[in-house]
Amino acid sequence: MARAHPFTGPSLTIAITLLAFLLPAPAGPLWLYGGVVLAALITGALSAPWHGALICLPLWFFLFLLHGVLGADPSWSLGSLSLSREGTAMALGQAARLGAIVTATLAMYRGFSVPRFVDAASERGWPFQYSYLLVATIMAVPRFVSQVHHIREAQRTRGLRLTGNWLTKGRGLKALALPLAFGALAEAEERALALETRSIRAPVRRTPLHVVQDRFADRLARWLGWSSVVAAVVWRLAS
Amino acid sequence: MSVVFEGVSFRYPEARVPALRDVSVSIRPGEVTWVFGDLGAGATTLLLVASGLAPRHTSGVLSGRVTVLGVDPATDPALQGDIAYVTASPEAQLSHVAETVSQEVAFAPANLGWPRERIWNAVGQALERAGVAQLADRHPAELSGGQLQRVVLAAMMALEPRIWILDEPASALDVSGKAMLHVLLREAASSGAVVLVASEDADAMAGVADRMIVLSEGSTILDDAPSTILSGDAVWQVCRGSTTLADLARRAGAIRPASEFCAPYPITVPEAVARWRR
Repeated sequence: MARAHPFTGPSLTIAITLLAFLLPAPAGPLWLYGGVVLAALITGALSAPWHGALICLPLWFFLFLLHGVLGADPSWSLGSLSLSREGTAMALGQAARLGAIVTATLAMYRGFSVPRFVDAASERGWPFQYSYLLVATIMAVPRFVSQVHHIREAQRTRGLRLTGNWLTKGRGLKALALPLAFGALAEAEERALALETRSIRAPVRRTPLHVVQDRFADRLARWLGWSSVVAAVVWRLAS
Repeated sequence: MSVVFEGVSFRYPEARVPALRDVSVSIRPGEVTWVFGDLGAGATTLLLVASGLAPRHTSGVLSGRVTVLGVDPATDPALQGDIAYVTASPEAQLSHVAETVSQEVAFAPANLGWPRERIWNAVGQALERAGVAQLADRHPAELSGGQLQRVVLAAMMALEPRIWILDEPASALDVSGKAMLHVLLREAASSGAVVLVASEDADAMAGVADRMIVLSEGSTILDDAPSTILSGDAVWQVCRGSTTLADLARRAGAIRPASEFCAPYPITVPEAVARWRR
């Protein structure tokens, strides 16, 4: 994945997200999820399926509870549980959608290189401001996670408690959320100033620092991804 | 060609008092100009205005006229790459699109559209001069504050700017880093660049700067050679500090009034030794 063209990962992730909602549930999203897990394993993003499942697990549980256990017309049983057939199918479809999107996103992050993406965008003649905006959006999640970690550690040194009952945890969240929100605003301002001092407004095309190879396999993968989306749209409209 | 302030006043949004009041100075090329003042005196604002970042980034109201190399720094894109602006916080100046120090230093030259070969040559030389060539392949996030400040300085050196504007550039540097910075400032001035530095480190800047501007409450109060200003009493009336030796002389004079503790105060150690030998 690290050697792939930097447009391939984000492009396929968007295509997979669209396919997850275009394909009929539950079979479509389930097949898609299986394919994404397999692709992640083949391309070396071994931890993505595992981490994806860990992230999705609480949501899967609630989907199963809401639609399967508490769903209308319980018509089959799993052990001592009476389950709704329709509700379980819906839960499976939603869970697979979620799993496919999260796994694809994690696999994309694993191979994503910011400087390579910026170089690739510069090679295509994109204005740097736009590619920077895209990169900042893509990297917002890991940045957010890292900020949460820093703020949590800082607040802990000031006596913040994040263990205990829900009320204590709720209070702790407030102590994290406010610095996070204000910190994000301050950081945005700081970054704008930093970029300004680094010639971002220069009225010339940015030089890519390295040549980024766009191999046949990359182009084929992107083409297949988007062709699948188009085919799925046509199929759903026709059926 | 220089940085010229003509009757410049600046007020931040919702501030009761202006940060700069009717400042008229000309910062000449070929010399290191040092801006000195207490916190809130207006030194950082002066630098932000000179670099065209205020009021564009800070908001606020600017009156008067500022020209840098004959043009308005706030609006003229021709100055891109000509102005190197260094802040006290190196983390705040990172591009966040680099995975190595080399890429970080190459960021601005790439934005200026330089040919790739020229970029990497400039990056190599700048890293050497800043003493961080051994960090070229490290991730900027792994570096200490002092190392980052050197990287930021290298990033600015790579541009070969005609205007150096530095706000407390030594705040994160160790002793050798400060020595490197002082050599850089002198070399930049010798090459004909405009060098404008805001610093509270009077001991260090006294030996580096050619000219000293003292600000108080946004106004220029004193403007002369550092040795003249720092050895006198006037600077103490508007600032809470000067050099360590001048401070020592004043404190000693307060305890035992004597001619050797009166102005002009010694600025350097040899001057103090010559004066206080008895």
